[in-house]
Amino acid sequence: MSLEITDIRKRFGDVQALDGVTFGVAPGEVFGFLGANGAGKTTTMRIILGFLRPDTGSVSWSDRPVGEWPRRTWGYMPEERGLYPRMEVLEQLVFFASLYGVSRSEARRDAVDWLARFRISEYANRKAESLSKGNQQKVQFIATILHEPDVLVMDEPFAGLDPVNVALLKSAFLEMRDRGKTLVFSTHQLEQAEELCDSVAIIDRGRLVASGTTREVKRSTGHQTVRLATSGDGDLDWLGSLPAVQVTRPGRDYTELRVAAGADPQAVLKAALGRGDEVFRFEVADPSLEEVFVERVGALDVEEQTLAPTSEGGTP
Amino acid sequence: MRDLPNILAVARREFLFRVRTRTFALGTLILVIGVVAIAFVPVIVSYLDSANEEPTIAVWSSETDLTTDPVRTLDALLNAPTETQVPGDPTDRAFRVTTVADLGAARAAADEGDLTAVLAIERAPDDGLAFTLYTNEPAVGRVVQLVRQASTTIAIADRLDRLDVDPADQATLFAPPAYAVAWPDPERTDAPEGPVEEGSSYLLGFGMTILIFMMIILYGNWVAMSVVEEKSSRVMEVILNAARPFQLLAGKVMGVGAVAGLQYLAILGAGAVALLIQGPVSELVLRGGEASIALPEGLTIWLLLEFVVYGVLGFTLYAVLYAAAGSLVSRQEDVSQVVMPMALISTAGYMIAVYAATGLLDIQSGAIIVLSQIPFLSPFLMLSRSAAGEVAPWEIALSIVLLILAIAVALWIAGRIYAAGVLLYGQRPGIRTIWRLTRSGM
Repeated sequence: MSLEITDIRKRFGDVQALDGVTFGVAPGEVFGFLGANGAGKTTTMRIILGFLRPDTGSVSWSDRPVGEWPRRTWGYMPEERGLYPRMEVLEQLVFFASLYGVSRSEARRDAVDWLARFRISEYANRKAESLSKGNQQKVQFIATILHEPDVLVMDEPFAGLDPVNVALLKSAFLEMRDRGKTLVFSTHQLEQAEELCDSVAIIDRGRLVASGTTREVKRSTGHQTVRLATSGDGDLDWLGSLPAVQVTRPGRDYTELRVAAGADPQAVLKAALGRGDEVFRFEVADPSLEEVFVERVGALDVEEQTLAPTSEGGTP
Repeated sequence: MRDLPNILAVARREFLFRVRTRTFALGTLILVIGVVAIAFVPVIVSYLDSANEEPTIAVWSSETDLTTDPVRTLDALLNAPTETQVPGDPTDRAFRVTTVADLGAARAAADEGDLTAVLAIERAPDDGLAFTLYTNEPAVGRVVQLVRQASTTIAIADRLDRLDVDPADQATLFAPPAYAVAWPDPERTDAPEGPVEEGSSYLLGFGMTILIFMMIILYGNWVAMSVVEEKSSRVMEVILNAARPFQLLAGKVMGVGAVAGLQYLAILGAGAVALLIQGPVSELVLRGGEASIALPEGLTIWLLLEFVVYGVLGFTLYAVLYAAAGSLVSRQEDVSQVVMPMALISTAGYMIAVYAATGLLDIQSGAIIVLSQIPFLSPFLMLSRSAAGEVAPWEIALSIVLLILAIAVALWIAGRIYAAGVLLYGQRPGIRTIWRLTRSGM
């Protein structure tokens, strides 16, 4: 009972969009798919949903090829939001659900419920184009889940949402998970992934660079993160002189350090105490996903600048 | 058919959405008003005519002993019955003919326009009759010509009278001779065609061909536009997850086809109703005078049925390809370019059909007979041939079978292009890409 992506490859002209991507998503888990623009996230999702056929490799759900499952197994929220601009919100939600075989009356009832939950009931009979982007996105999410799919595939669901709506969407995610749905979503907002995901995969230029449970991935570098606050703050030079330690984020409240694989984080504490400083805070943690990502792929922003113009257009 | 529910759902949305737009309502209204107005043109024209003063011709005669009544002769010639008029029906008269006693007053009335003309008859010195027509009408005009003809008749009758020919014998002298029109081909026995009938059956084939051509061009374009709209609003990916490309394509064609059907029904229905109520209305407006309209001759149930079948099948064949073409571009501006091949082929079919219907091409030639079996052309050509009555039932059956086969093939090809095309953004595919898409499917 899981979603298995096995060694998929896809080439568009000269661009090898996917180059042997393999990962699994356990049923009922929230799975984050991380990567810069053009890394291959959308292409992978389109292959999972059967819009595109991979050159090689296979995708199965519960040991059967994805194509054999009825369409209502799948819920898809594309990255580019898609609604009929001049059609009323409730009407198009009912239309989408009816394509999956949901009866119109049932779809109408559920859609009204969901619109109320997302606090957009008053827009039910408005044309979609008259809604704000955030509200359109909420409608889009309802369209994705209205037919109660087993697997939700969402491309950048949080992009462009304000903090209030991000919170609303997160709670809806968790409710979906509690209902036993399997959620796969892509994002480059790594904090969201860290907060929500049971498992993640990081993809870079068509290749998977890390995958597993969120904790496994975070630990995969072997580094550890130390957060330290002492009475001697402001003078950080001594930290740099410690072996296998690197200051990653000097801060007012605390300083974040990276302790190389194999080194003992307790050495930092001992050194601080040895200097005669008072230690207010000492915390050993796994590195954040962002740190892992930066280490494995490079800075997100740089990637976006170099990759976005060329690759995204070439991977329909 | 597990595809059917989704095809119907897509068609339903397309239909309801289109029909509710203001463009559709307004367009249909304007067309209906136009058709009704055209249908009522004969009534309106007769009404305007009847509103005019009846043209009157006055006769002044110095002779009172003429055996032929000049008034009756003039009346008979000026108001010669046409085919549709009941002879002797006084309401049908175009001219009123009266006698006057005062020539001077009559001439003054004619000059002021109260009378159309005054005909003065006098005895000439050579004992014959002399005629003078006082009128402001042009000397070569119809009235002058008809009065001249009547005058000749009156003069001949007067001469016969003076030769003492019995008035009873005169009737036989003036009786029309036997006169017939026949085919030059001695084998041909059918009744000679009247000019009216020939005109309307040519018009019928012509009109039906135009209607089908308009349906393909206008609504085919609509199909392509609608596909591009779904692509550019990115709603395509959402519905693509729910329904197979084939279902989306078939549903769209069906939905737009239903819109087209509704609009055509509204227009043709309004036209038919207008024609039917024309009798009563004209009676009301013209107080008994009946305008001469009838349903076009040659319009049989069979021809109507053929029109519907060729219209539906022709539209389907083209619309399926229009949808595939629409899926290849992502901007509305590019639509006219990708639909060019279909527009050209349908225009060719339409032109050939019109040339054949109007006689510029020989409708019985072998080339036309062969072309009329080709699916993309048959909706136009078969209708023209049928309207001209030059086609055997098996030819119609064969062309319909070929048309249905062509639709099946087009659906298959278009479905594959569509499946790949709808995810294609920002690039205009060439022939090679289309070929590759057709082969691989995506």
